[in-house]
Amino acid sequence: MRWILRIHLAALWLLSTVISASGAELPSADLPIEQVIDQFTQQRLDAEKVSAAPQAGEANLLRRLMLDVAGRIPTSAEATAYVANPSAAKRVELVDRLLASPDFVWHQRNELDRMLLPNKPNDGDFRKYLLWAVKENRSWEAMFRDMLIGDEADENRKPATTFIKSRARDLDDMLNDTAILFFGVNVTCAKCHDHPLTPEWKQHHYFGMASFFSRTYVTKKNLLAERPFGEVKFKSKRKDDTKGEQTAKFEFLTGAIIDEPVVERSADDMKKIEETIKAAMQKDDAPPPEKPSFSPREKLVEIALRSEDNRFFARNIINRVWDRFFGRGLVHPVDQLHAANAPSHPELLDWLTRDLVAHGYDLKRLIRGIVLSQAYSRSSEWTAGSQPPDPALFAVAKVKPLTPRQYAVSLLIARQSPDQWPALDKPEEWIARREQLENGSNGYASFFEMPGENFQVAVDEALLFSNSKRIEDELLRDSKTEIVGYLKSLPDNAAVIEAAFQTICSRPPRDDERAAIDGYLQSHSTDRVAAIRQFVWALLTGPEMRFSY
Amino acid sequence: MTLSRRGFLNVAAIGAAGTFAADMTRFDMLRHSAWADEAKKQGKRVILLWLAGGASQLETFDPKPGRPTGGPYRAIPTSATGVHISELLPKMAARIQQTTAIVRSLNTKNADHGGGATIMETGRIKDPGIEYPDLGAVCAKELGRLDSAVPDYVSMYTSTEGRRKGGSGFLGSRYAPMFLSESMQPENIRRLESISDLDHQDRLALRELLAKKFTQNRNSDSLGSHTQAYQRVRGLMASEKLFDIEQEPAEMRAKYGPTQFGQQCLIARRLVEAGVPFVKVARAWWDSHGENFETHRELCADLDHSMSALLDDLKDRGLLEHTLVLTFGEFGRTPGINASLGRDHFAAAWSATLSGCGVRGGACFGKTDEDGHKVADGEVGAGDLFATILSALGIDPLKEYHVGARPVPLSDFGSKPIKDVLI
Repeated sequence: MRWILRIHLAALWLLSTVISASGAELPSADLPIEQVIDQFTQQRLDAEKVSAAPQAGEANLLRRLMLDVAGRIPTSAEATAYVANPSAAKRVELVDRLLASPDFVWHQRNELDRMLLPNKPNDGDFRKYLLWAVKENRSWEAMFRDMLIGDEADENRKPATTFIKSRARDLDDMLNDTAILFFGVNVTCAKCHDHPLTPEWKQHHYFGMASFFSRTYVTKKNLLAERPFGEVKFKSKRKDDTKGEQTAKFEFLTGAIIDEPVVERSADDMKKIEETIKAAMQKDDAPPPEKPSFSPREKLVEIALRSEDNRFFARNIINRVWDRFFGRGLVHPVDQLHAANAPSHPELLDWLTRDLVAHGYDLKRLIRGIVLSQAYSRSSEWTAGSQPPDPALFAVAKVKPLTPRQYAVSLLIARQSPDQWPALDKPEEWIARREQLENGSNGYASFFEMPGENFQVAVDEALLFSNSKRIEDELLRDSKTEIVGYLKSLPDNAAVIEAAFQTICSRPPRDDERAAIDGYLQSHSTDRVAAIRQFVWALLTGPEMRFSY
Repeated sequence: MTLSRRGFLNVAAIGAAGTFAADMTRFDMLRHSAWADEAKKQGKRVILLWLAGGASQLETFDPKPGRPTGGPYRAIPTSATGVHISELLPKMAARIQQTTAIVRSLNTKNADHGGGATIMETGRIKDPGIEYPDLGAVCAKELGRLDSAVPDYVSMYTSTEGRRKGGSGFLGSRYAPMFLSESMQPENIRRLESISDLDHQDRLALRELLAKKFTQNRNSDSLGSHTQAYQRVRGLMASEKLFDIEQEPAEMRAKYGPTQFGQQCLIARRLVEAGVPFVKVARAWWDSHGENFETHRELCADLDHSMSALLDDLKDRGLLEHTLVLTFGEFGRTPGINASLGRDHFAAAWSATLSGCGVRGGACFGKTDEDGHKVADGEVGAGDLFATILSALGIDPLKEYHVGARPVPLSDFGSKPIKDVLI
């Protein structure tokens, strides 16, 4: 029963912004984000008498930061340089460098793309829009407007409406996906109040949200448009219902209602308008329909962003960004942002909400704060005792499966000879290489499943790595530019082992690994190249490569 | 040389990581004694003969001879008293009483290929907030073994029309089908010639050795599935032969006949015999908007022959009482005959069959009206059909999965098994 959406309670809880849930005042708005994150996560750990896992080692942290912020593993040279760097501020320097790099732009684009259009991957125009928006560090609020309202006249922003257009054929898709992705609320369960577990659910919440989208349509020329009139009707199926058919109001999740100004139209006018719309939907040469004076989607954006109703929108994106970096939301699952499902750290979410709104919905700022926190940089190993602690404590880092894109780009980096990359002091050369990696990874990315909740690796993937010609030809080639070719040119096994671990795992081998691989290579010395190939294969297919840890 | 190479790995593996089996194809039943109490359920299998495009109920299991909607074919008596089916299925007619129950009163409400297929694959209408698993994935999860050495969901479809992969939805890709689209062999199941069998085994062992330390102190189901996926590789490679009908005697191949569908039915039998819990064989393309009667004469002959051969073979091997054979597609076809002598999409009153495991042979449930326009008696939906299928397999249709905090029963809310067709 816990998952039932109780809007009235949600509204009360969500109003608490400056004063936290416990009634205490929130820490100063001037504190660095990372410090506040650490303060509240530590508070809860102390309260539960749990000691967090130690901080991850430097090589480990670098790899995690690179995958999370740059969308790829480090090159061998980057890994070596980071660990060797004596600067006390090197983590901050690295994070700032990465956030300003083209790597971040690609990766952030890819992450937003998979969140916003999960069923329509690689929509070229939409991806172009996202790339532009990330490059501009466009605020999340502005992006929300771009996607929900849209501006067909602006070349850069125009493709953003693909978010609505690609769902416009189905009212449920428009309203559900908007509610889930922008407000963190899954209202699907409310459509059918006959649901045996939600007898008290009020349908008007669902249909209220539906009314904001019911007038939306796409013209034959693929323009996003809205009808100037049209109502959503619904009927209770309850036997004791006395209301009969009801007309949905423009009602937001908080219960706030927008009244539409009354416009008198003659039957003739209505008919004419209907005909124009029909023509626009069917004919290529029809004139674009006139924009109505009352736009429900515009009203939805307005109401969702105004301060008294705004807490779903800001909290949702914070929670989703948090989920991406920690592998679990402060509110879990991320589409259950409601009162019956309280956040693990309510004050922290309150503070971050205030911070995000005060700083113009700057996602880069939020990301920076998250990845600089100690909570983020804990080890993913739990050796302290029997059972790992409640994941809501963030006491130990979560092992996260790579997205298809992260895995593909990382494989392309790992398979290369480490001397093939631009020198570290020539970041401008990296720009073109990164774009090549991005484009070159399309094929591999299509082989892997997009991770979701409870992600499992398909056996198809293991079979692909085990038996496909493409893997053999592209990842294990022994030419000079490739990792196998590079390793075979090294003078002895010790050098091979060091270089392979440093290139593929971004760390030196442990002693037990050195000994085991040395034994393997020695016993296979009659065909050294084949032995190196099997060793490289074993690293490329290993969990250290498949997961961020 | 060979011995010393293998010797290295065994020593290294044991030294570093305790017990370790280099040969993944071996399967030790004793390790799974905890499952023994469920042995009955464990033995159950499903073969779904998916009639892609939508077969006509009037030319198969619900004929209307002599009516304006009836078409040119006669109805013939079956081995079940009082039950008549189309004359296009004479071999099945002789087997109804012994093996097969007919459900004639399906109303699944969606006559669009995509929407109808989703309903008949998952037993419920599409829900924007959630990706439901299809029947194959549910059966793979409920009937399969986690570390099975054989695939647990195989989907065969070598025709080009309306190819649908199906999917495991929220159950995750562990239960996704092994999908055969281009040939009768699954992809990447055979070792490349450029690597020796020994090297192939060795590198898997090396991989596992290197992975062990990493996975030791890290708690993650996803991580576990990665290990398992690689552990299943050798076993699945060994199952390559299951897909090779050349392994069958010539007279057995002759029984199933020369058609691709017949051969795939034979592969399906080989798979379920080896323990694969769910096999889908799709036969296309029944979408007869024009020339319905010609189309059905050809396709029904293939269905009739292949399905009877399959049921006979399963019975001869003692597998039929544990194997449920199903026929349905995304919907049926209109009683009305259009100007091109075709029948169009129709979901309001159509038929499915269940044979074998848990099924009352000869049962005929539900009725359509005189001309087949509407269900006259015993209307059931896709959810009810799925509840019936699960019940026949001994799986509780009310059992719930949890997606986040949301409970999802195996068959749709409010659905009920059709008791009349169950033993």
